[in-house]
This record gives sequence, C-alpha cells and structure tokens, in this order.
Amino acid sequence: MTIKLNVINLPKDDYQGGKSSLCAGCGHDQISSVVVNAAWENGLDPRNIAKMSGIGCSSKTPAYFLGQSHGFNTVHGRMPSVTTGAAMNNKDLTFIAVSGDGDSASIGIGQLIHAIRRNLDMVYILANNGVYGLTKGQYSATADIGSKKKKGAVNETQPIDLCALAVNLGCTFVARSFSGAKKQLTALMKAALSHKGFAFIDVISPCVSFNNNEESMRSYGYVKDNDVELHTVDYIPHFSPVEEIEVPAGAYRDIELHDGSIVRLETISEEHDPSDAVAALAALHGAEAAKKHVTGLLYFNADKPTAAEDQNLVSTPLVDLSDEQLRPPKEALDKINSGFLD
Amino acid sequence: MIAALIGRQTNTLNRRIIAPMRQEQGLEPDKEGYHMDTIVNDFSINIATANGTGSQSANLILLQTMADMGVNVSGKNLFPSNISGLPTWYIIRVSDAGYQAPGDRTHIQIMMNKATWEKDIEACEPGTLIIYNSDAKLPVERDDCLVFPVPMTKMARGLHPKLARMIANIVYVGVIAHLIDLDDAAILSALNKQFKGKAKAIDLNTQAVVLGREYAAENFGDERGKYRIEHREVDEDSFMIEGNEAVALGSIFGGMTTLAWYPITPSSSVAENVIAWLPKLRHNEDGESTCAVIQSEDELAAVGMIIGTGFAGGRGMTCTSGPGISLMYEFIGLSYFAEIPCVIWDVNRAGPSTGLPTRTQQGDLTMLYEASHGDTQFPVLIPGNMEECFEFGWRAFDIAERLQTLVFGFSDLDLGMNKWRCKGFEYPDEPLDRGKVIRTQEQLDAIENYGRYRDVDGDGICYRTLPGSGLDPILYRGTGRDEDGVYSEKADVYEKNMSRLKRKIDNSRTWLPQPILREEVEQEVGIIYYGSMENTIQEIDDILESTGMMVSQCRIRSLPLSPIAEKFVRDHETTIILEINRDGQMYGILRKELPIELVPRVHSVAYSDGLPPRAKLYAEKIMEVLRDIGATEEVLA
Repeated sequence: MTIKLNVINLPKDDYQGGKSSLCAGCGHDQISSVVVNAAWENGLDPRNIAKMSGIGCSSKTPAYFLGQSHGFNTVHGRMPSVTTGAAMNNKDLTFIAVSGDGDSASIGIGQLIHAIRRNLDMVYILANNGVYGLTKGQYSATADIGSKKKKGAVNETQPIDLCALAVNLGCTFVARSFSGAKKQLTALMKAALSHKGFAFIDVISPCVSFNNNEESMRSYGYVKDNDVELHTVDYIPHFSPVEEIEVPAGAYRDIELHDGSIVRLETISEEHDPSDAVAALAALHGAEAAKKHVTGLLYFNADKPTAAEDQNLVSTPLVDLSDEQLRPPKEALDKINSGFLD
Repeated sequence: MIAALIGRQTNTLNRRIIAPMRQEQGLEPDKEGYHMDTIVNDFSINIATANGTGSQSANLILLQTMADMGVNVSGKNLFPSNISGLPTWYIIRVSDAGYQAPGDRTHIQIMMNKATWEKDIEACEPGTLIIYNSDAKLPVERDDCLVFPVPMTKMARGLHPKLARMIANIVYVGVIAHLIDLDDAAILSALNKQFKGKAKAIDLNTQAVVLGREYAAENFGDERGKYRIEHREVDEDSFMIEGNEAVALGSIFGGMTTLAWYPITPSSSVAENVIAWLPKLRHNEDGESTCAVIQSEDELAAVGMIIGTGFAGGRGMTCTSGPGISLMYEFIGLSYFAEIPCVIWDVNRAGPSTGLPTRTQQGDLTMLYEASHGDTQFPVLIPGNMEECFEFGWRAFDIAERLQTLVFGFSDLDLGMNKWRCKGFEYPDEPLDRGKVIRTQEQLDAIENYGRYRDVDGDGICYRTLPGSGLDPILYRGTGRDEDGVYSEKADVYEKNMSRLKRKIDNSRTWLPQPILREEVEQEVGIIYYGSMENTIQEIDDILESTGMMVSQCRIRSLPLSPIAEKFVRDHETTIILEINRDGQMYGILRKELPIELVPRVHSVAYSDGLPPRAKLYAEKIMEVLRDIGATEEVLA
C-alpha cells in the first residue's frame, strides 16, 4: 500500500495530533481535523507552524492537531498578545490559533481587536458555541437572544457578532463557517493559511454537552430521570459528530443539532464581492434579521501591510540573529559615553 | 562573584566639608552663633513654579551648568500628575561632600508660582535667600531673609512677548548666576545642550540669562548672600543622565529583540529612550531594525507580547510601574510555570492604587518577588546608580534566558526620572548568555532521555527547543504537565516540578548581582539598604557618625537574597533594614529567609511620604529604633 504524500512529501500522519479529550461529538474536533487536512493539503511544513490558543475547550485543541509543531496554550483571552510577540521574533512561522467565544468575545475581546488592528499575520479560528463549556455551560457573549440553557433564564442580552466587528475593524480576511461544513471550512482554512495578514474564521461549533436551548433539557431527561445522583453536567452522552453538510452558494439549509435544535446556514451567493465591506456587513445584518447564519468568505483585502512589515525589521527572523547583530559594538558605547560629555 | 569590600575613601574629605553643614542642620549647634562665612558648594536651591511653563528647561540648565563647573550637584523634580498649571518644585542640591539627596532645608528659594506663594515663603528658614518674580504682585514680608525682587515677566516680555511665560524662567537662571557666581561659559554650554544646538532658541535664552544677570548686578551688587559656586576639578569621564535612559541603553546593548510597552508614569521614558536610540544602535544601513517596538493596548498585552517573544526564542522586555504589574500578574505566573524568559522593569511610584503617580517609593518589592498566584519566586535586580541601571539593563536578559524565567528590574521614580552623575557605561564583559537552548539535532541526540521539563543537569534548569526548529516540539501550557511537557494532574509530578522550580531560582543566590559592603571594623550596627537609597546613604552615615555612631552598610542588589547578606547580619549584633516604604518589605523578606536565630537581630526602618529620602529624617529614625531596642548606649560606648 502506498502512502499518499503531499507536495512536500509528507504523509498526513505527520500532521496529526494527540487524542482528543473533548466530549464525543464535539464540533471542535471537526475543526481540528479540518486544520490537519488544510495544512497537509497546503503543503505547510508542520515544523514551521506555531499553534496558539487561550483557555477553554477550544483552546485545548492544539494538543489534538499538528503534533510536530510547537505551540502555546496561554492564558484566557490573551493569546493574541503572545502570538504578536512570537510573530515579531520569528516571521517565518505560520501561526494557527484557536480561540473560543469566551476568549474572544469577552475577556480577550480587546486583544482580538488590537491584533486585527495591527493586521497580525495569523489564522484566528473562533470555535463559537455560545457557551462556556469548561466551566459547565454559562452563556457567552455570542449566545443568541432567546437561547435557554438547562438552568436559569433565557438569554436576553444582545450577542456580539465578531464577524461584523472584524469587518468594521478592517480585518483583512473575515469568514464564517460551520464545523460540520467540512468542505467549505477546509476551503476557507486553506485560503486563510495562504493569506498574509489577519485571517479570522468564525466557526459555529455546537457544544454537545451544554446546548443552550430548551430542547437540550429533553436530551438529558432520560439520564436525569433514571439516576438522581448523577449531575447532568457530569454525564457526557456519546454523540456522533454532526453530519457533514454542504450548502450551495446562495442557498440555505436547516441543520438539526444533537439536541434537536435547528441552525439555519446560508452560504453567501457567488455575486457577493468580498472586497466590499458594506456588502459583507449587509449580509451579516440581513442574516441576523432572518435568524440565519451567513457563511463563506465575507471580506478580504490583500493590500494591507502586516504587523511585522510595519516594524521594518531585518529580513532574518530576530531569533536567528547572531550576538554581533544583537549587541552594538564597543565603539558604539564609547561614542555614547563621550557624546554625553559634549 | 565576590562582594567588593569598599573602604570609606571619602570619609576624611567629608569630615572637613560637612562640619559647617551640620551646624546648619542643627545637629551641631554653632556656639558662636549665626555667622556670615561664605558657604561654597554646599547648599540647596528650591525653585517653585507651575508645570507646563517651561521651567524644567531653566532648572536643567542650572543643574548642567553646575555639573559642567565640576561641582557635585543633584536635581529632584517634584512634579504633579498634570500637564499644565499645577505646582512643581525643583530642588537642586550642591554638595562637595557628594550628597545627592534633597537637603534638609532650602538655602535659596526661587518663587515663580502664585498658587504656592504663601506656603513657600512660610517654609523659608531665617537667612534664606528669596528670589521672586515681583510681577506676581504678591508680598514677601520676611525681614529675616535676604529678598531679591526681580520683574521677570516684564523683562521676558521685552524679549519675546509671546514666550514671556517661559522666558521668565530663564531670567532667574541669570539672577542666580550673579548671586552664586555661575560661570558664563558653563551656562552657554548648558544652554547648547538643553536646546540641542538650535541657534534661535539658544540666542533668545542666552539674552534672557544675560538680562537676569545684569539686572541682579545692577540692583543687588554685592548684597547677594553667602552662597557661592566654585569650580572643582571636572571629571572628564562623567556626565549626568536619568536612570530610565540608562536602562534603555542597557537593554539595547543586551540584545533586546522586542520592547512591548504601555505608557505609565514614571516608566514611559524607558521606552521613549529605547525608541530614540534604536535607529542609531540597532538599525542597518537600510533602516531595518533588529528590535521590534510595540505600544500595546494595555499592560496585559505588553507582558503577553514579551512572553510570546521568549517562547519564540527572542529577548523581550516591557517597562511599567506598580499598577501595570498588578495587571500583569496572571501572565507573570505563566512565565514562571511554563518557564519562558522575559524582562520587566518596574519603575516604582507611590502606591497603592493610583497613589501618587509622580512621587517615588520602594513599595513594589514584595509584589515583584513573589508575583502572581500560587507559589512563585522571581529574580529581582535592584540598581542603585546609573552604571548599574545600564548593567542590569543588559544583564537581565542573560539571567532570564539562563534561568528560563521572568526577571524583574526594580527602579523607582527618583532613580529613573531624575538626573544623576554617571562615570560612563562599561561595555558588557561577557557574551550573551542564551541559556540551555537546543539548536541542532546533534545537541538533542546528546541528551539522554530529553524532556522539556526534565532536569538532566541537576541544577533545576531544563533544556528547551524553539518553534521553527523542528526539534522535539512542545505545546507550552500553564496547566500541570510532566517532565515531557504532557498534561498531568498527578500529585507527585506536580510537587516534584514545583520543588525543581524553587531549586532553580534558589541556585541563583550566589551568582546574581551580589551585595556591596562597606564595613567598619568591629562594628555592632549594620544597615541593609537597596536601590535609590544609595544616593542618600553616605549622608545618613555621616550624620550617624557625627553622633559617634559608626555603622557598616550592605547594599542588596538582587533577590533572592545572597548568602553574603546573611553573613552581614550574622557579623553584626544589630542590623537595620532601611527602605522607602511603609511596611518594611525587604525586612519582611529577610525575616522570612534568614535562619531563625538571626531574626531577632534585624529591625526595620521604613518610611515613605512620596518624596525622595532626606538623610536627616532617616538618620533620626535609625537612632530612634536603636534607642528603642537599647542598642544606642552600647554602640556609643
């Protein structure tokens, strides 16, 4: 049996990571497998990739892909700053970052905004499920109005649409997809990996354990009724991943999630001009009004310099500079000393 | 590195010169009563202005003029947290004895600020020379002082109506020049430095100085009081510089590859000086830089960026003050636990909270040493002079990379934002220490059973690989992990790792910058101090000595504590820990780290009011504590 190799003669196995410890059926695992496929198909050298993340379920995923790449699981919401520092010092690295909606829409929204503002050269994957999974099911700032979790009130607070925010901030690559739309997500991921600048992909990625609407109570009802001592939150039912879907451009499709809830996905039409920020915002607002999620490449701009380019750094990555390049010579210090005397 | 045992070479000189001064301080009341003997190079000038009026230029010109005349001089800027209109005082201390702290009294008072007029006059002791802007139209009713009314605003208006407010300040430079004999050539050279060779500005300001001097000569003649500046031998190799600029230069010579910073008083000028110097020192002929500079969105991002720098294998630094450190705390713990090198300079201002943002303090020490949640410990480098600000500026990176941890530089507003004499910076005497970084497959193969967190050398420091190298990749994390860097919550794995981290930092006690000792033979009392107190200690020592008390001194230059500090305590019956904060933070660290039998020997003298330390005040507090514990009689006997 011959093993299939990519353009740099590496088998796909070289792009795999460790075994996932997320709940069975978690949308995030599908994102991980898309990252593996996209990086392999793009022929990226895994040794030149750095995986970055914050804190949360989604931020654990760098352990589950690209095992031959260095990575950094940093602190909650503040992965963009760590990536910024790393990118300045080694501009030859490709940065693939995974963040959750807790990370990106709340505690780390400032850092996300400023990384976009600087056009940091990185792929920023938002694994967006509307809940805090790791702390067991609190609403996040992207939860839709009217969502209801197992305990507590209906969410009445306006969600933050991070794609609209990104477009408004002049983000150079803004896309939305769905963790089950493997074909679309892979295509977007490959494009994002090729993009020089900040590529933002908002991936709707359902949480199987803490789905935040009324039906989810029904899904867990059996367990609750049959074992009073077992907290529903401690019980992780075994789901299969969401069925792979494909939505043709300009069309929409209703996707049934594990708990029976429906998410309506629309793929942006081929007429959409991704260089038109106003059109992108119109599509986002239109979809919101129609209770749909518009997917696809919403906005793209290849002309903006990256954060590292703005710095006008030497061509060699800073981490590869010699001591002589890093420390000015003694003559320079002598000159400073005598200069102060003038 | 063995501690330098520095003798008291300057003491003989001091005794000759300080005697009259002690009389002034009231420490040795002059039995012959008040005298009008000329006092040369030994007095303090207090200049009361409003900020935003350009007075800082005038003050720096005065300072530089005296420095260029070879006189030992120091300047303290007591400025408000405000851009324009609030009271500012600048204190110039002239001292042949080499004292650099603000003196205990003012000898020459310059009055430019209506808002503080009354209080400033009230504060003058009898005999003070009062130079005031008579255009303020406010009374100066002090028969016991020598008063010098000068219509500064009118004179300035005559020169340049639009800039009159600023020029008026330069007029007092001329008046003072007449009263205390400042050298014209030195003033001109100082003007040149201040206005960086800009002909127009130099010309205008020179005219203002001349005007002031001529007015004073005509109107006051020889009635000019007893204070004089006399030339001293100019030290050709020394100059005046602020600590923040010295740190900035040090960091550039330390091979810094990324400066990430967020503006905060009193640290911003570290970053601004880096930015100013980089083009000259770290840009190639095409203007390309070997150091990135990012003004971050907040302090959390600044520290995140330098941790990212360390992760990638670069040398990252940020500069901040107490409030910034508070914000950085979570990331600081990540650096400790994930073992990522980086450097933070804390230029301490008076806390807590917003506190006194433009005043000085040593109040952040404990928050640095054990920063972040959980058990941590960080190397803290504590410079006491300009040479050390530069040296620790570059050395901090070597220590951070060697120990694979975050290193703090600990300065303060007094050291960082005031000008101090510097004997010139010494070029780093050792190559960059990049620590245990595996860069090739051969190096990796040579290590049996490599793991990112496996202590193969037994010194607590493990080897690391860098992203992009393709060598044994690791997913760094702040969570528990085993020796291979794999997630682990196992009790023994966690405990073993935490013990190793402690050992790693503990091992640095003997090679971090060691204490500097000034020991008296067979003395019973020792003083431990650190940082900017260096600039006041000689005067404190002389005051104590004038009461017959000879004390030894130990200046701590880093944490964790060196065994030399412990030996110092062991060698003295009583040790005072002298510091500029309320609670005795270094005292607390010593109490915790000294062997239990030595703890009763250490006593705290801690005081902070936001102002730079005044020698007399601290000397009296030392004597008070020694009296309280019954040590004084013994010492004096």
